[in-house]
Amino acid sequence: MDSALIPEGAKRCAFPKFMIGMAVVGAVLLWGVYAMFLCWFKGLNQTNMNDYYGFALWIWADLAVIAIGGGAFFTGLLKYIFKIDELKNIINFAVIIGFICYSSALLILAIDIGQPLRGWFIFWHANVHSMLTEVAFCLSCYFAVLTIEFIPNILENRQLNKVPFFHHLAHNMHGVMAIFAATGAFLSFFHQGSLGGVAGVMFGRPFAVREGLLIWPWTFFLFTWSAAAFGPCFTLLVTKITEAITGKKLVGDKTIHLLAKIAGWMITTYMVAKIIDTIYWATVTAPSLGFSLSHFYTNNAFYGYWILIAEILVCGVLPGILLIMKSTRENPTTRLVAIILATIGVCLNRWVMVLQIMAVPVMSFDTWALYIPSWQEVATTILPVAYGIMLIAVAYRYLPVFPQELELNKSAKAAE
Amino acid sequence: MIQHENAHKFGMVVDLDKCTGCGSCMVSCMAENNVPFKEDETRKKDSITWMRVYKLTNGKPFPETEVVYMPRPCQHCSGLGDHGHSPCVSVCPATATDYGYDTGIVSQIYTRCFGCRYCMGACPYHARYFNWWDPKWPEGQENYLSPNVSPRMRGVVEKCSFCYHRYQLAREKGYMEEREIEENEYQTACTTACPAGAITFGDLNNPEHEVTKIVKPDPHPDPMNKNVVGKSRNPKVFRLLERLGTNTKVYYMSEREWVRKAGDNYLDGEWDKRKNHHGSSSDHG
Amino acid sequence: MKIDRRSFLGLGLGAAAGIAVSPVGVKLTDDSSIWTQNWPWTPVPEDGEITYDPSVCSLCPGSCGISVRKIKGRPVKIEGADGYPVNNGGACLHGIAGLQYLYDPSRVKTPMRKNGNRFEAISWEEAISIVAGKLADIRTDGAPETLGVITGSAAGSMPALFKRFLDAFGSPNAYEMPSLEGNLQLTAATLHGAGNTIGFDLENSDFVLSFGAGIIEGWGSPVACFKANASRKERHAKLYQIEPRLSNTAAGADKWIPINPGTEADLALGLCAVLLSKNLFTQGNFTGGFQKFTAVIQKEYSPTRVEASTGIPAADIEALAVAFAKAKAPVAVPGKGRGDHGQNLKEFAAVQTLNALAGRLNQEGGAFVMAQPEYLSFPEAAMDEIAEAGAGKEKIAGSVNKLIEDINGSDKPLLNALFVHNANPCYTLKNTQRVKDAFKKVPFVVSFSSFMDETAMEADVILPASTFLERTEDVPAGAGLPKSVIGLATPQVDPVFNTKNPGDALIQVAQAMGGTIAESFEWETYDECLEAVAADIWDSLSEEGSVVVAEGVPEGTPAVDVSYLAANPTSVEMKGEGDFTLVAIDNMRLTGTIPAASPFAIKTVSDKVLSGTQTVVEINPASAKGLKDGGEAIIATEQGEAKVKVNLNEGIMPGVIGMVKGLGHTFDNPYVAGKGVNVNDLIGPVIEPGSGLDAAFGIKATLKKA
Repeated sequence: MDSALIPEGAKRCAFPKFMIGMAVVGAVLLWGVYAMFLCWFKGLNQTNMNDYYGFALWIWADLAVIAIGGGAFFTGLLKYIFKIDELKNIINFAVIIGFICYSSALLILAIDIGQPLRGWFIFWHANVHSMLTEVAFCLSCYFAVLTIEFIPNILENRQLNKVPFFHHLAHNMHGVMAIFAATGAFLSFFHQGSLGGVAGVMFGRPFAVREGLLIWPWTFFLFTWSAAAFGPCFTLLVTKITEAITGKKLVGDKTIHLLAKIAGWMITTYMVAKIIDTIYWATVTAPSLGFSLSHFYTNNAFYGYWILIAEILVCGVLPGILLIMKSTRENPTTRLVAIILATIGVCLNRWVMVLQIMAVPVMSFDTWALYIPSWQEVATTILPVAYGIMLIAVAYRYLPVFPQELELNKSAKAAE
Repeated sequence: MIQHENAHKFGMVVDLDKCTGCGSCMVSCMAENNVPFKEDETRKKDSITWMRVYKLTNGKPFPETEVVYMPRPCQHCSGLGDHGHSPCVSVCPATATDYGYDTGIVSQIYTRCFGCRYCMGACPYHARYFNWWDPKWPEGQENYLSPNVSPRMRGVVEKCSFCYHRYQLAREKGYMEEREIEENEYQTACTTACPAGAITFGDLNNPEHEVTKIVKPDPHPDPMNKNVVGKSRNPKVFRLLERLGTNTKVYYMSEREWVRKAGDNYLDGEWDKRKNHHGSSSDHG
Repeated sequence: MKIDRRSFLGLGLGAAAGIAVSPVGVKLTDDSSIWTQNWPWTPVPEDGEITYDPSVCSLCPGSCGISVRKIKGRPVKIEGADGYPVNNGGACLHGIAGLQYLYDPSRVKTPMRKNGNRFEAISWEEAISIVAGKLADIRTDGAPETLGVITGSAAGSMPALFKRFLDAFGSPNAYEMPSLEGNLQLTAATLHGAGNTIGFDLENSDFVLSFGAGIIEGWGSPVACFKANASRKERHAKLYQIEPRLSNTAAGADKWIPINPGTEADLALGLCAVLLSKNLFTQGNFTGGFQKFTAVIQKEYSPTRVEASTGIPAADIEALAVAFAKAKAPVAVPGKGRGDHGQNLKEFAAVQTLNALAGRLNQEGGAFVMAQPEYLSFPEAAMDEIAEAGAGKEKIAGSVNKLIEDINGSDKPLLNALFVHNANPCYTLKNTQRVKDAFKKVPFVVSFSSFMDETAMEADVILPASTFLERTEDVPAGAGLPKSVIGLATPQVDPVFNTKNPGDALIQVAQAMGGTIAESFEWETYDECLEAVAADIWDSLSEEGSVVVAEGVPEGTPAVDVSYLAANPTSVEMKGEGDFTLVAIDNMRLTGTIPAASPFAIKTVSDKVLSGTQTVVEINPASAKGLKDGGEAIIATEQGEAKVKVNLNEGIMPGVIGMVKGLGHTFDNPYVAGKGVNVNDLIGPVIEPGSGLDAAFGIKATLKKA
């Protein structure tokens, strides 16, 4: 029915089956959209946020999707600037995931703010001292870059590509993509960093505050680094999931191994830095403000040392090691374990840097504040997931996302 | 740092030994500043109280238990090193909250705030409140609203302004009469309401003002922590979370050692060393 | 031109591009944000000239001077009035929130008549004629004494007018709600002779020994007490608080002496005994058998005996007595909490006798025995035969609590009609069901309430009163102040609803009845009446807003009649069964009587007192027995049971449950009612023999996990 739109030679499931799948995910999406409109029309009283939890599930989701969307800028940087050509086999997909993550982040922000119609004040009345201003500018600009990076891939659709203008446009855009990749990497460096800075500059919150370099607290660099390290893991994870669902091999092992190796080294080096940062914070920064480490991990029903161990050792050091060791990296099972742990690890880090900050009492007579999100918050947080699945499904069905798809599946057939 | 030559630095000191926890300051603040109310205000984490009175206990068992009430308005931090970058002002992306270098007051512009709540996360005193709901007054009750403070709309952050409108009114009057305003002409609503006279408000830059006489703020950075400026030289006076370097302009005073200790966080054994270092207190109030 | 798909697409894209580059988007973005800054549903208060007008607050017996800030005549804020002889600046939260009462959702907006179970609005003319008609019937039936009146207090022109109405009508049945002032007058009458009251010179005392008096929790005239208390720091004066619970007063005191609930009288007499045995007392003007008194007290209240009942070690009792006697200007203060409900004469008399023994009567910083202020002079009421006959009848009961008991205990209606003014007995008196039952047995109840409160709901006709901000009234400040101040409340705003000054309503009822009753109420208006009857002080009162009628240390040493205590009156025992003693707590941020706390005041209430719609009770962790902090529990007494939350609190004696007064209102105001439990539903009254006071300070209770 839609065969004219499907990339030439590619095998796709029957249109009705596709539509059923889309309808199921679409229902979840609509649920999220309903919750979103509730928040817009009735206000943020629809959430379980409160004056202690001004930042909650959404801001975590926001930081998390931006972190795991970091695969786009980092892969782009490696492909276009460091000329690691092997990565061309995954760059399109990395860009799409990045596009999904960043558009989701912007959407979440639009729901999260109390006065969405005034959202543009962040640009108009910008306060240059605020990390969030930096985030807003870089995030918006980088989203524009991602859109530009995504466009050639869209134009490669079989029907669109027939239009000569689109064909040439796509071709020429590929040619100048290095400039956009460089811009993207630059912008990403800053907004990923600023998001880290958001927490690090809160000198009223001893759990968050960090010393740093000039105006940038250490969390600035840690966030950029962790996004570069863990983002590709998420790209690999989504690739793996897409392969599992489509039942096809879509990216060659060589590319996968290469990206996994790079991610492994990035994670490992990040973890070294993170551990140093944590030790310094726990033994110097926090005590100088009167807080011992135990203050942050005891006397409450949820946040224990387990979260520190989970983030740093189980979901940090462990995946790093699994990915730098050739045997475990190239073993599909251990690699899968590693990229899943890594993805959880970075999300956990963002959770800690958003929600645990809000939970920890600062005044000596204050109490721990725990919160459980409302269904509206959960629905709007799942909304981007549904949207992502749908966009990936449409992109995969109609766009030549994976350059190796035909070749890999031909050889698979040949091997039979 | 932009510092006007005749800059004021408004601040207050609360005598916790006098505070009775009666709540007059809270209600005076609500009435003065058009603070709305809801049917259920027992969820204190979403209850707008610019002035909130905390109840502190010494944690000892019956009958050694002691209790003290601590009124907590916005602390009007002047930030690390007293440079005007209070925790909230420096993070607001839209310049909706600002530090008045001529008054030391941290302002909030409700019509510019777009409700990102970063300032709330940055404030360790929970002095900032978000309008989760549209403010709603029972029929007719909007008749008592004061025109001097705009009622806020849903989706923005609000907080104590040290009754800035009272300063404006006093200043206008002084300007018309071509004179400086007197100490008693600008007092916050909580100060004037307190039946126990526990709150003293004034200009910390004016040595004649009662608050300055009580607090005796040290204009030099604390040698032990260069971020801290304005530390009180009165051993009975302390600030909340002074070690963070927020440099609040709300001071507290108590004869009781455990109360002063509760104002900040200390590692095990640290308090004894510190208080001895300052030679401040060995009393057991 | 033929529009095909391609040109249509082109046109559409072109239009989109055109709009995108046009200023439309920018304009819409800008406009939409401007709209959010001016949402029509966010009120914009009208601006205008600021003025300040003085008046007096009559929300509680404190009677503070207030200053009402107005914008173009519209009241926007109430503040304490500087220089006013009671509070001199400063105000309590209830007074500051006073404007909320003007527009309270539960206000009675117009006269009402009950029709079946529902109220219907009627005109003032109709309301007055209904009341006058019913009352005329009662007189026709020859039972004028079956009209009763319950007023909030006995002081001022309004209670006097109601009393006058009863006189002219022919009934002796005037009752007042329990109050600190009433208790002090009763104590003074018992010890020093009728017509007196007692004031406490807290601001000049260097040692205040408080028998549970909530000096910073609404006892007496709250702001005056706050000020006196705060000045202790500069004066190096001491406050010792004797109370089962670490109240705010106890927390602010120099020493908290926990005591078994309800044994304050024993301690006071124990202290007297020590003073007597150690010869530390001052020989005063004691009458009524001082010898016998000395013997009885020393025998029955020896330190060891008092230790047994109060739980305070005998050695501490002796030391306390010595410290009290040796202080320069000590004063002992009676009246647990606000000193109004649940009090007993034995304790009041014992504490005042302690003052007398320590030589503290009419001394600076001591207890002043003062004549009750007499500034009102009404002309003799005209009485016809019916009135003469009725007035000669005996009063049904000695107190309002006894009245309720008697009405319930009687087969025939003791009262055929009842006026209620400035009181909410169906909420405030203990065992509210019993009070409501009694009200149901009165065929015709007229309420003069401003609010549709629990008592107004039991009424047959409501003649709605203007609030203190809408009416003129004389406001005598009593309640333990060491001076006598009369204030004048003046209307700050025209009545918001179709209400009247209850004085006017009463005058109109009287005039509608004609005859001698009308003759006794010959004034056109209440304002005219007040001016006439307060003529002695009217000029200064109307010009200054207040008159100080007595101030300073009274002359002479008053006589102290110890016969009441020498007879060793029995102490009131708690009723019921259970491991716990439930005591009612006065909390400054709530009101135990009328009016109910305002929305602002409710907002300030701790979540350790009210959580959602549940009352939180305090218990010591030592008696928790599996109950968790914040957990739910069922509290049960012989009066009833309620689901509550538990607050584990080291600041209360083990075995005691503290439950706040002022919650559990049942009228229609979502901001203040429907929250928590009315503690008076759980505690029943215990009438003290002799005084008629409801002396129930608590009740035995059980507390089990819900």
